[in-house]
Amino acid sequence: MATYDNKAWLLKNVRDAFIATDDTGLCEIVMAGEDFSKIFQNKALEERKRERDKIFYEPSTSRGKDTGTDDDEDRDLVTRFDPYPDMEDSDEDEPCPSYPRFTDEMAHRQRSNTAQWLDKKELALKKAAKIKVVKWEDPVSPLTPEQMAEVFAKIEVKKPEKKKSLLAEQLENCPDLPHRQYLEYAKFDGTAQLGLPIKSFKIFMTVIPEKHQNYPLIVCVIANAKIKDLIGFTCYKYSIDHPEVTLGSVHDYGLCIAEDDGEVDWAFPCLDNNEPCSKFGFTCLGLIDIKRKENIVHCPIPYDLNSAFQCFPKASVSGQSHVNTSRQNTGGSDTSEIIKAMNTVSEGNKGIGHQLSIDASQDKLYRVQLLHKVRANTPVQLGITLDTVEVVPLVTNKHAFWARPKYFLHSINSVAWCQILEAKSNKTIFRIVYSPTHDTAFNDRNATVNVSSYTNTIYKKHDFETEHDTARKIVEKVNTILDLRNSPCRREYKMVKEKKLQTRRSFHTKHLS
Amino acid sequence: MSGEGASAGAGSQVALVTGGYDHTIKLWQAHSGVCLRTMQHPDSQVNDLEISPNGQTVAACGYQHIRTYDLASANPDPVLNYEGVVKNVSRVGFQENGQWMYTGGEDCTARIWDIRIGHPFQCQRIFQVPAPVNAVVLHPDQSQIMVGGQSGIIHIWDLKTDHNEQLIPEAETSIQDIAIDPEGKMMAAVNNKGNCYVWSLGGSPPRPVPRKHLQAHKKYALRCKFSYDSTMLVTTSGDCSARVWRTSDWSLMRELRHETQRWVWDAAFTLDSRYLFTGSSDSYARLWDLEKGTLEREYCGHQKPITALAFRDQAV
Repeated sequence: MATYDNKAWLLKNVRDAFIATDDTGLCEIVMAGEDFSKIFQNKALEERKRERDKIFYEPSTSRGKDTGTDDDEDRDLVTRFDPYPDMEDSDEDEPCPSYPRFTDEMAHRQRSNTAQWLDKKELALKKAAKIKVVKWEDPVSPLTPEQMAEVFAKIEVKKPEKKKSLLAEQLENCPDLPHRQYLEYAKFDGTAQLGLPIKSFKIFMTVIPEKHQNYPLIVCVIANAKIKDLIGFTCYKYSIDHPEVTLGSVHDYGLCIAEDDGEVDWAFPCLDNNEPCSKFGFTCLGLIDIKRKENIVHCPIPYDLNSAFQCFPKASVSGQSHVNTSRQNTGGSDTSEIIKAMNTVSEGNKGIGHQLSIDASQDKLYRVQLLHKVRANTPVQLGITLDTVEVVPLVTNKHAFWARPKYFLHSINSVAWCQILEAKSNKTIFRIVYSPTHDTAFNDRNATVNVSSYTNTIYKKHDFETEHDTARKIVEKVNTILDLRNSPCRREYKMVKEKKLQTRRSFHTKHLS
Repeated sequence: MSGEGASAGAGSQVALVTGGYDHTIKLWQAHSGVCLRTMQHPDSQVNDLEISPNGQTVAACGYQHIRTYDLASANPDPVLNYEGVVKNVSRVGFQENGQWMYTGGEDCTARIWDIRIGHPFQCQRIFQVPAPVNAVVLHPDQSQIMVGGQSGIIHIWDLKTDHNEQLIPEAETSIQDIAIDPEGKMMAAVNNKGNCYVWSLGGSPPRPVPRKHLQAHKKYALRCKFSYDSTMLVTTSGDCSARVWRTSDWSLMRELRHETQRWVWDAAFTLDSRYLFTGSSDSYARLWDLEKGTLEREYCGHQKPITALAFRDQAV
């Protein structure tokens, strides 16, 4: 391949190949501004200019030369930045394209740009076919007097009688309009704009009485509307559809991320009012009352954390998703410390009271990856204390919303199991099993847990991934705490596991006999 | 929404249509202020809107095109597209019984377009004037068209005889709009200096007789229109106001201003002459109660200035 010795040419062709075969257009965006072949070309031009200037300013007879031949000169001067001759000429219509053309038999090949363009064209043609076009035709021959009389006859003008207007009547019947206070937001209506990028959202109206909340409001706004405009438009749309429900001021409301089923993530802050909604990847949002959110955020944990371990300095538990920087990731012998702490409490009769003042280092934080079934892993901060297991998403880029990280806080009494699942070459995956039902049941800690109800208990799990050592440490630590507390949740889970094993065994034995 | 749109726009009902620089035409539910439909007016602003005499369609004129849209269906695209004008079409209107449509534009012509279907002969007409046309209006007797433009001349084009007469109310000005009252007795014209000239048409022989000169606005005037009962004349202007004048004594009846209102491009009276719609550069259309002088409704939805509006009322 003799032609492949030129860097610029190669770069250009690799670049072209990427752009030409990428239907998503992402390649082009990523590579924008990095067209080295162009940069080389420009450098070549500069070099040529310099060379030429040198020639011109050297005292020689060529001084008074006709400058009209500049172009010819440009071609004659060859610089080290020059690619193959006339590279720019071949830019558009390459008779034999150098990039690979994939055939349509290739799996998962998207429709080519040309096909998409043709589709669009066809659609436009279809649309145009529905529009009847009338071309102006100059009058060919003057009209006869009869024809003139037919079309341009003079009509006697009658004095119009006084009439009552239907509009006036409608106005009288419709004096008060609740949506008027949100009118200024009407212009963000995406369905009413043609040719502007738009965005649709499912909005769950948590601010209205519960009986009206049964379905989300679908709103469509222009993509550059800000979040506050989206709030205003949501109020506008809702008040048109439901004039009987009174909504408050737009400034009292915020938009929070919500699940498809309408469950609002209260732990997250509201979306920034001044950001355009095109910035966010979510489609499900909850319209919330800011005051109510403040109340909820200030007491985010529904269960009582003051357990038997209340003598320990408790981690500052906050419902917000921000990372508490005062707490640092720690290494060291976490488990031994916990054992020490546990021993101090559970075997308090040993009389080592001074150890009660265990420092906060037992409250460990780990940076791990939270695994998801379908999506990419998200970095989280796993906080393990004697009372809680906390999963705080670490969203380094606040606009990386496609990952939709979620905040979790589990009472240690709702955690049932922790084990290493799989050790890969450089990472270990471990699992924490918890029961959401125990999280809520935990409120009433005196209630005797009906052991027979375990069949109804739902267990959920979080899978994490981290370095071998850290994973081992975490699992060890969690299990130590779990063993010490031996919560009903854990006992139930163990029983279920045991039972499953037994059935399996008995199944085997039956078959064998 | 399209269902509502169909009922609100269908022929006999009340219809408010606005258009402007955002290349869209909007149909509104006039009494509630809710936008029912948005229609596409590609590649051009909307210079003028006119609802057809049967109330089924609305005609919009812009750069090189006159398009008509079905008011009763949910179709966002025009149904008819009249082409063949090389420049901006500034005004459009219909003959009373829907045989033809008239337009005027910057190509210095006024035209009659045959809009009948399957008729044995065509009645297209073209009328050339020396300057770009800003205003065209049909006399209620359906046989004369007034054409005004940048030369400051008003041409009275008699369609039957093809004769024309000229009026020059003020030298070196541009006629921005012409109006004739529904009784056919008065004609008004406004110019770019904010002056309004009124003629009597009802005399015998029916020649325009100068009647009144009003310094209607201090700046550029844009539109003038008579109310249905001929008792009022509205003039709109670049001074951010619309002014309503009593035709009995030419006194100022109302000045319609709003703190956010900018240039007022167009206006339309209701059938009972009690209310007035205005469309403004602040992208809002407004409904004013002329008796009380109050702002009754605002129509928000356009992204850019509203430059044209059309209103069709219904008698009850």
